[in-house]
Amino acid sequence: MDFGLVYPALVAGRLLLAFAPLPDALKHDHQLSSPLTSYPRLQEGVYLFQHGIDPYSGGLFRHSPLLLSLFSTALPLNKFTSACLWTACDAISAWALVKIWRARQRVSQSSRDSLIAAIYLLNPYLLLPTLALSTSTIENMLFLLSLMFASQGQSSPSLLALALLVQLSLPSAIFIVPMILLLLSDPVSRLASPREFNTYLSSILAKLGTFLGFSFALTSLSVLVCGNWTWVEQTWGAAVMLPDLTPNPGLWWYFFTEMFDHFRPFFLMVFSAHLLIYVLPVCLKFQHDILYATYILAGVYATFKPYPTLSDPGLFISLISLFPETYQYLRYPIVTTLLHLHSALLLPLFHHLWLSQGTGNANFFYASTLVFGVSNGAALLDAIWAGLRIAVGNLPEGYELIQK
Amino acid sequence: MFWRNNILAVLLLCCTWCLATSEEFHEALTFRPLQDGRLATRFTFTTLLRGAYPRDPSTLQEEDESQHYAIFPLALGQVLREYAVTELHLTLNAGKWDYDHWGYPDEPGVGTGAELWAWMGESAARSVDERWKGLRNALSGQFCASLGSLDEQRTTSPELTFRPEGSLPQWGTTHQLRHGTLPSEHVCTENLTPFLKLLPCKSLTGIASLLNPHRLFDADWHGLGVHVRYLENEGIEVRLSFQSVFDPVRYSNGRRDWSLRSVFDRVIDRSCPIAHSSEIRVAIPKEETAVAITPDSYTTHAGFVYFNVSNASKPLDISMSWPDEQKFEYGSSQSRGRLSVSITNHMPITIQTSYLESMPWLLQFYLHSLQIYSNGVSRDDLISIVSYIPSVPHVRPTLFQAILTLPPKSTLHLSMDVIKPFLRYTEHPPDAQRGWDLPPAVLVPLLHSNSSTLDPGLSNPPSGFEQLRLPRRMYTPVLLVDLATPDFSMPYNVIIMSCTLIALIFGMVFNLLTRKFTLIRVSPEPK
Repeated sequence: MDFGLVYPALVAGRLLLAFAPLPDALKHDHQLSSPLTSYPRLQEGVYLFQHGIDPYSGGLFRHSPLLLSLFSTALPLNKFTSACLWTACDAISAWALVKIWRARQRVSQSSRDSLIAAIYLLNPYLLLPTLALSTSTIENMLFLLSLMFASQGQSSPSLLALALLVQLSLPSAIFIVPMILLLLSDPVSRLASPREFNTYLSSILAKLGTFLGFSFALTSLSVLVCGNWTWVEQTWGAAVMLPDLTPNPGLWWYFFTEMFDHFRPFFLMVFSAHLLIYVLPVCLKFQHDILYATYILAGVYATFKPYPTLSDPGLFISLISLFPETYQYLRYPIVTTLLHLHSALLLPLFHHLWLSQGTGNANFFYASTLVFGVSNGAALLDAIWAGLRIAVGNLPEGYELIQK
Repeated sequence: MFWRNNILAVLLLCCTWCLATSEEFHEALTFRPLQDGRLATRFTFTTLLRGAYPRDPSTLQEEDESQHYAIFPLALGQVLREYAVTELHLTLNAGKWDYDHWGYPDEPGVGTGAELWAWMGESAARSVDERWKGLRNALSGQFCASLGSLDEQRTTSPELTFRPEGSLPQWGTTHQLRHGTLPSEHVCTENLTPFLKLLPCKSLTGIASLLNPHRLFDADWHGLGVHVRYLENEGIEVRLSFQSVFDPVRYSNGRRDWSLRSVFDRVIDRSCPIAHSSEIRVAIPKEETAVAITPDSYTTHAGFVYFNVSNASKPLDISMSWPDEQKFEYGSSQSRGRLSVSITNHMPITIQTSYLESMPWLLQFYLHSLQIYSNGVSRDDLISIVSYIPSVPHVRPTLFQAILTLPPKSTLHLSMDVIKPFLRYTEHPPDAQRGWDLPPAVLVPLLHSNSSTLDPGLSNPPSGFEQLRLPRRMYTPVLLVDLATPDFSMPYNVIIMSCTLIALIFGMVFNLLTRKFTLIRVSPEPK
């Protein structure tokens, strides 16, 4: 199917869907948006900002000041502009994904382009949060743009997009190292033929310096918009201190709801450090194919992030379309798919039973988030195994492969 | 011989016929819609034994003459004769009667728990206290309630408060009052079943067939009562009553329409043939909103609508609906809700009032969703926000001050979205399911009667305005908000399950990343 036909058709379909009369409850759904990405909170923050009240003085608004300034000055937030903007973000993300695929395959176009665009635009994990106008769509777009520019070797746009992403969501700092390494290598698939990664420390430091420069500039811009530093504690601090215990599909919220105050700082440190310890080992093990390492880290990000929504595993699942060489080595794809289906159906059901109907209690929803965690973990483990198994290749007759 | 036997039979028949006509049974059911959307119902089953007298206590040591009752409940009659009781009142109630919202009850005995009081004449043969004890035990056996524990530790004689409701016969002895209450007594189907057995038609036909214990004991307030009194020139009257306050808004989807089917889950299929009169009365609410009552076969008198059950077509289902009313209450979930205030201005001039809402940090406002409706029309110009200090969780509450302009003779509805937080385990109070109380909003009307510098936005006040006195401060009622609670028995389980999952995934990723691949031979070398 011709990409030039399929892609506009999909975008037009998405635009029509965005303008369809959808229930308002979608914006308040806890699976589709978290306190850090919720649209009503964004509206409230912009409203307070426009009326001269500091939106960061309360605990309601946790979006970045950059979004605040964008939506209070350049882009007004109403039904029409929001629908267009969010559909545009998804369209750009799908286009970026196709460009990454082309860079990996070293072609200018291929027959799989339309399939990749369709996988991104029709993925329900990504479709529903966009319809709920969750700002995680913008975060996904920035991530895929950064990845696209890194695949094409353009370091400044890539690092700028990454700096913007870190401004919006602090846990995405785990992508700094793989993005820099990707800029210093290329995205071509070398999973089957691993080799040493050769580079100079100075080039790594140069790229890091660029990134820090961009971050500093954006932080100063944010301070300029706000007038003070309170936004740091409300936006970045929220990812570390977890002040808002609104339910979401992640593993953090119920753990810290039931935690006694004495142990709270320790476990917050443990969970935050846990997210960071995956970066170096994954990058070292997959140094021959940094794009695959970024993909694995996206899976880690989706499973262990403080305030996840459904769009984070959605990104991970959409990225799988870039690595068709791994499909034959996946050990249990059907189990993973069924687990995802199971938890995706149970999450809204138990959420409704607990909070709207009142006949269930919090444990129902917590159990469904555990199942969701298992399904994300299963996908992550299968992806790591498949990436490593390719390197071994075909087994001769009578031999078995084990790890020791 | 033949005639003598026959005359005896005819005389007996006449006697029983006379006795039968001297007993009358009336049943009535009254509905009263209350101003907060609830419905007060009252079942009354009255049996009048004409020409009968209570037993003279001076005859207590002799054998009592035999009593023949056709409709009058025999068990109760025997108890009354045994202990020579002139007047008896027993009530078993559950719930708290809200006088503010529900007004005065039709039956005054609405104290929670069991209350028993009786007027008995003094006797030399058996003392009043001895008979009171026997009466208590007999009634506790009759109604399956633990009235036997109303002993002398709980019995008093408050003659000033509990005056006899009927007349006390003149026997030459003084009557004494014995009164006891047991506030912890519960009412349930166990008490209703013997109550129904005292009725001539039981619960099979007539109005008593509506007494569905599943619905009655689910009501916000319910109570049954047994009242026996002697009316001079009439006889002995036994009145069995069941009062309850239902909440139709809870059963339906936010509407206060009700019908016999929706309230009692039953309709009247057959009328009681023994009933002298059997009627259903519905009080017409005094508000101006239109009300529809079905079926049409009723008579209206003095603010009440009367249905004659014996003549009405069966099965009989009476319903009352407010067709023009929208939802009576707002629905909400445990994650968000809608705070709304409605203020009515009865005066013919525009009034400006300051509106203060100080909310604890629990409830956070979405100020951008603030909506003002005056008489159904959206009017954003009627509010001007003076100050808004948003809350900081765990540190300070929300402060919201605004000036509201109320047009003359109108109702202003103010509403805004609120989100409810999810508190930590240690932040919930011990009775977490009760909810949190929210402080009232305060309204201060700003128009002064003697002000010479009136706000130009206000209309000209009529003459005689100087006599107007506005209240200094008005408070809205306190609200109770329920928040989502975690499972309080689970901290250990949650920690071990979440940590197990994280550790398993970490461990497996660690294994995959740190181990080397090796090939091992499983089948023997081919020769």
